[in-house]
Amino acid sequence: MQSANMLLTKILRSSVLPFAAQHGMKKVLFPLSRTLSLSLCLKQDNSSGPSEKLDLDEWKKVMKSGLQEEVSETVSEHKELSTLAAAREILEMWRLAGRSVPENISEEQLKTFMECPSKSAKKKYLKYLHLKELYKKNDKRKMDEKRERKQEAQKRASETDETKRSSLVCLWANTMDKAYNWRAAQAMIFGQPLVFDMSYEKDMSVREVANTVRQIVLSEGCNRRSVDPFHVHFCNLKDDSLYHKEFIKHYRGAWGKLLITVTDQCYTDIFPKDKLVYLTADSPKVMKTFDHNKIYIVGSMVDKSIKTGVSLARAKRLGLETAALPLEKYLLWNSGAKNLTLDQMMHILLTLKDTGDWKKALEFVPKRKYCGFVSKPVHDLKKTLNLINTLKLGKRQEEVRRQFAKNYSKKLTQK
Amino acid sequence: VQPPEKPLQAEEWNRLRESFQSPEIFEEVMFNSMVRCNSPIDVAKSLLTHVAKNNGDIAYNLLLKYLALCVQQGQTSEIRDVYDIMKIRFKILESGAYNLLIKGLCNSDQWRMGLTLLEEVKKIMIPSRTNYESCIKAASRHQEMNLAFELYHEMLAKDLVPTLDVLQALFDFSRGMKGAELQKELFGVLLYLRENQIYPHKTFMRSIKLWFESIPGGNWRGHLTNIKDSGQCPVCHHQLEDSDLTEEEYNNLRERIIRDVIHGTDTFRKTSPQEFEAFQTFVENRLPFDIVIDGLNVSHIKPRRMQCENLFDAVNCLAKGKTRLLVLGRKHMLINSSNWKREVMKEMQNKADFFFAENISEDDAFLLYATLRSGKHCKFVTRDFLRDHKACLSDSLTRHLFRKWQRGHQIVLKKMFLSLFIQQPAFSYDCVVQTTGDTWHIPYKDSFEEKYSYQVPRKWLCIQQQ
Repeated sequence: MQSANMLLTKILRSSVLPFAAQHGMKKVLFPLSRTLSLSLCLKQDNSSGPSEKLDLDEWKKVMKSGLQEEVSETVSEHKELSTLAAAREILEMWRLAGRSVPENISEEQLKTFMECPSKSAKKKYLKYLHLKELYKKNDKRKMDEKRERKQEAQKRASETDETKRSSLVCLWANTMDKAYNWRAAQAMIFGQPLVFDMSYEKDMSVREVANTVRQIVLSEGCNRRSVDPFHVHFCNLKDDSLYHKEFIKHYRGAWGKLLITVTDQCYTDIFPKDKLVYLTADSPKVMKTFDHNKIYIVGSMVDKSIKTGVSLARAKRLGLETAALPLEKYLLWNSGAKNLTLDQMMHILLTLKDTGDWKKALEFVPKRKYCGFVSKPVHDLKKTLNLINTLKLGKRQEEVRRQFAKNYSKKLTQK
Repeated sequence: VQPPEKPLQAEEWNRLRESFQSPEIFEEVMFNSMVRCNSPIDVAKSLLTHVAKNNGDIAYNLLLKYLALCVQQGQTSEIRDVYDIMKIRFKILESGAYNLLIKGLCNSDQWRMGLTLLEEVKKIMIPSRTNYESCIKAASRHQEMNLAFELYHEMLAKDLVPTLDVLQALFDFSRGMKGAELQKELFGVLLYLRENQIYPHKTFMRSIKLWFESIPGGNWRGHLTNIKDSGQCPVCHHQLEDSDLTEEEYNNLRERIIRDVIHGTDTFRKTSPQEFEAFQTFVENRLPFDIVIDGLNVSHIKPRRMQCENLFDAVNCLAKGKTRLLVLGRKHMLINSSNWKREVMKEMQNKADFFFAENISEDDAFLLYATLRSGKHCKFVTRDFLRDHKACLSDSLTRHLFRKWQRGHQIVLKKMFLSLFIQQPAFSYDCVVQTTGDTWHIPYKDSFEEKYSYQVPRKWLCIQQQ
């Protein structure tokens, strides 16, 4: 008896289905119907076997039954799709498969997608659209939550009926804007000109042009707000160029009201050549002081794909003087490109104009690119370092320092 | 996450799902781990059943992952079922699904279904090269060589680049087969290697050799060999093709380089018009040179040594006999500094002509110009492979000529302990697959490299018909 019980429990424990086992156990506990219960248990085991098999392919049945209803509804679905519609379908399938593809895509975006030259370009563009959509969704959600919270706070405040009193005068933003505009107008008549050269459209991609325009918008804004603004000129800006379109996208109506000079002439036609200085990082000549009589030119180019020498080439062709900021001289450079963005350049030039202090001006260079500021030029520092070391440790240290200086000069002369 | 060993019931799946960190993506993560651990197919089926019963429908990405598992394990009937379900449920399928389906079906005995799928893919987009690869391999495996070659030509017509694996498969499965058409097609593949300057690796080379030797009645014999410096093959005593270009090709190349590379987009970017004109007059007055050396590039061969001494070694190594040398330098070499000593420079100027360009100019264009103007025999020395200049050339024919000219005229120096030696001399014979009808000479590499390498192989396979 007991051995039979043990055998049964062993069989039951080894089976997969727990509740069938539980059933079996209950039946075994009745000793009267032992043999009956044994056969009942075994039958249950057998019946659970094929039901398990059925289980595994049941998903197919579920899918097909669901599908047959669909098929009967939609009779003539398989038409010939045009290429755009086919592309849209493929994008939808990619999204279902889990790739980073946006949910809604406009006709224009679809056309740009079709014109992408390679597979990886297509992938990158889709990922960009997807992330943009995601950020917008998240922003919208946060705004909605904020609005709700504000409404609740207002309700609570109106319930308790508190009136806020403070002793500060309310200064509207409009008043500040008017003050800035007066200063900009004054700069247009009396101020020092600063030229942005807009002739780099052919060298940049569409995305880079958009980035350039965004940087220029920032720099124009900070110029307007400074104590003594420049008189900003946009030269070589043609009416139907990409730059113009992007500007209108940003400023919309305010583009007509900006207090700057926009022309499609070249700066050599407007200003005398001996007063122009082209600022470019590739120039061999280093700027020492800010000259208030010269007119500085900044090339409006974003080079995400590195383009050395393009701005220098333009300056050389027109025979203009060039200059580079003394970044090597005043900063212990860490790693990073010596090309600065346009708004950083604007900040640096404004600070130079106002104070003439390189230390304050070069604050605007991103801090990750350098690890320290030296008020004396680096060469002089090295000489003093050498002197200290020779006096302290004797000749061997000097040889080490000489090696270092040799490598440094090699770096300078290697192109 | 570890997938379970055996198929589970719905409650157990639910329990696992609740105990998971983020229950929304539980199924995806579970499927990923199943594919990674290659779990038995029944486990995947039980999860699918659970999802189907819960939601009434299975998401597309889960079906895809299940398909990936089936392909991994070669379950052909399951693949067919999934395909049928997908076809009814979704209007069109995307590239990922088609890749898996074609790969799975072509590896099984229902490979013809794979070909039907390829036709379907062609209606919506250009098939990828992996699709063609699977189909060609399946066709070859089942001895349908005509079909395989049809697909191969289609692939080339659509500008897809076949992998070396596919080409090797074509040779592997044609072994022992007879037929003039087939032979012509395979010769076509070898000519494709020649056109695109692809060098086969060892296994591929062996495959080619075995095919040649297996042609019934052809009596071809293959030998591995090295070619002598004169360009003669020691096995069949046949003279290899000359690496020189014809007059017309040469003039064509020179014009194109001057137009595209030197004047290219902007002379100002690399140098200035005045400097280039000065260089032109300099070269015209002193033509012809035998070897043109890129001074700055050569002076960096041994980093620890003084740069002028490196250049001096190079000049000594090359100035044997009456060779006329031109060295392109920069103006900073004339300043007496720790790297460029005036005495050494003076002594070098006795042995070679020097031109000093501005410190910021790029002198590669000067190098090319001087070499091309001096004539066909002139060679140039630099370790730079001039990839960016080749890219400036506008059409593929000129690029081929450039590479051929580069193979035959570039000397690459390498440092040894005490001196320099020539690592890659300019060969007088052309290192490319070549044939004369009854002999074939194929250069091959030891290891497999996917990208085009600029190093020219020294080992050759010589096949001749006896």
